[in-house]
Amino acid sequence: MFALPIENYQLKGLGERRGMEAGAVRSGELKAARRLAPAELLRGVVRREVGRGMLEMRGIEKRFNSSRVAVLTGISLEVKRGEFVVVVGPSGCGKTTLLNLAGGMVKPDGGEVMLDGKAVEGPGPERAMVFQDHGLFPWLTAASNIEFGLRMLGMRRRERRDRVEAALRMVHLGNFGEKLVHELSGGMKQRVAIARAMVMDPAVLLMDEPFAALDAQTRTLLHGQLQELWIQTKKTILFVTHSVGEAVRLADRIIVLSAYPGRIRREIRVELSHPRDFDSPQISELVRLVRTEIEEEVNRVNREMAGDEWKPAASAHLGDGFVDLGGSI
Amino acid sequence: MVLSIWEGAYRVIGWRSWVFPAPSHVVDATLGMLNVRTGFGEGIGAGWPFAKEQSGREEGSWYGSPLIRAQVVSGVRLVFGFSLSIVFGGVLGLLMWRWEGLDKLLGPLFLGLQTLPSVCWVPLAILVFGINETGILFVLVMGSFFAIAIALRDGLKQIPPIYQRAGLMLGAAGWRLYRYVLLPASLPALAGSLRQGFSFAWRSLMGAELIFAVKKQGLGYQLAMGRETADVAQVVAVMIVMVVVGMVVDRWGFAKLQERVQARFGLG
Ligand SMILES: Nc1ncnc2c1ncn2[C@@H]1O[C@H](COP(=O)(O)OP(=O)(O)OP(=O)(O)O)[C@@H](O)[C@H]1O
Ligand SMILES: [Mg+2]
Repeated sequence: MFALPIENYQLKGLGERRGMEAGAVRSGELKAARRLAPAELLRGVVRREVGRGMLEMRGIEKRFNSSRVAVLTGISLEVKRGEFVVVVGPSGCGKTTLLNLAGGMVKPDGGEVMLDGKAVEGPGPERAMVFQDHGLFPWLTAASNIEFGLRMLGMRRRERRDRVEAALRMVHLGNFGEKLVHELSGGMKQRVAIARAMVMDPAVLLMDEPFAALDAQTRTLLHGQLQELWIQTKKTILFVTHSVGEAVRLADRIIVLSAYPGRIRREIRVELSHPRDFDSPQISELVRLVRTEIEEEVNRVNREMAGDEWKPAASAHLGDGFVDLGGSI
Repeated sequence: MVLSIWEGAYRVIGWRSWVFPAPSHVVDATLGMLNVRTGFGEGIGAGWPFAKEQSGREEGSWYGSPLIRAQVVSGVRLVFGFSLSIVFGGVLGLLMWRWEGLDKLLGPLFLGLQTLPSVCWVPLAILVFGINETGILFVLVMGSFFAIAIALRDGLKQIPPIYQRAGLMLGAAGWRLYRYVLLPASLPALAGSLRQGFSFAWRSLMGAELIFAVKKQGLGYQLAMGRETADVAQVVAVMIVMVVVGMVVDRWGFAKLQERVQARFGLG
């Protein structure tokens, strides 16, 4: 079992400005701590290397073909080593494009992307990505999918097998290695995709709405597991979503993107310690606050897209854990 | 059902078997080509369905019979020719997918050539290669490799781009991307294109053998023989054999392959 420092959790930044009180919620944290998998599971999967995983984007510009409006403009973002940064924004605002830029799969028209001080040239395993629709290879089993990247590295079979096994257990799929992709549920597929990325021991993990297609229960379960994984591996994670609830649960820092053109609107620090109790009132309170902060932006986008007729809906479903920015567009 | 009406009508009306054979004559002819003498087509009486009198022809073993020999000869040609087709078609399909310019150049040409019945290659083959095995192979390859190239190109085009991105992300660069990502990803399309290519190849081969009279005699030649000797029963028998062989290979070979690939991918 992990010995986790149990700290008072605080709402700084946004919460503080709104005059919220900081307080301790120990029971929730203890409960979450007990869920953690033993550290041995990760041995052989992840090297705990220091000095890796700082992702910088400077002055990124991106437009597609001859499009009039830039998809992304003036994006400067720094993700520190071991930090969990969540980017939220309405559908179509360029979140996937932002991740593809970080992954090196798309080239920026201006600005630069750097990982640990080196310019990103193309896709590679040190910037592993979990795709919006998993992108697992359907001709391989779950285990072979996870093994794929190691095979490409030329690792020996025995060593590969051990790591794959550990990775499968890490995402709680120890008995599902031999299943084909289409035999897995949506949640399982995303977990295999996470394992496939993690087994490469990347410097940063890029996640593109990995849980968007899942039902609320599965999503909550996977939020817990991802948080667990992140605490244990101390990976740098850049995570993209349109759900504020998801962002508040997971993030150290939330970046709010605007659309048309996509630029960074706000940055919100979530200073709640990890692991978090997702049911705590503090989380829902923060969700509400963040949502109000960005509602303005969503309304603006809607107005621009629908013309002048559009009027904002009277603040609906307050306090709801999940607010889909994209859903209303 | 149809067969029994056909047979019944034949017996009642009394068609002449050299104009149009009854099923029983076709059975006789088929078995005859397998060196088994039977008399299904004779009047039903004592000793039916065994042949009444032994003909002057020598009896041989079934495996040395004309039908089996022809089958083997055709089979060997098919394997050779179809392999060549797969190689040509595969390489061209890949190149057409990779370079749009080549696709623009060859795509319409191939589609046009596909409408050309493959026997139309025979005169050209005779003039260029002469009446020999190479000529037959030429017709077979010409008749089937377009189909494979086009189907493969279309299949590759349909690969979701996410597989390529996932492959690159996991370090599959250069030839590895082709070998470990694009090739397996195109398997469903590949299986389909092989299946289609086979039916083209089989038809081309039969057509070519029908016209080419070379030393080694394939199934198509048996058809031509039937015509030469005005043996209608044999003609019908060989046609049936062609259909059955084509169907068996398609159903138990390529369709099964396709099904297995699709099951693996969770399609259909
Ligand atoms: N390859 C491309 N070519 C042209 N336009 C593109 C391309 N990729 C994305 N776009 C455009 O860029 C914009 C941003 O797309 P992107 O996929 O990054 O949005 P997103 O924020 O991820 O949306 P979602 O939440 O729906 O996933 C969209 O308007 C889209 O039409
Ligand atoms: Mg997206």
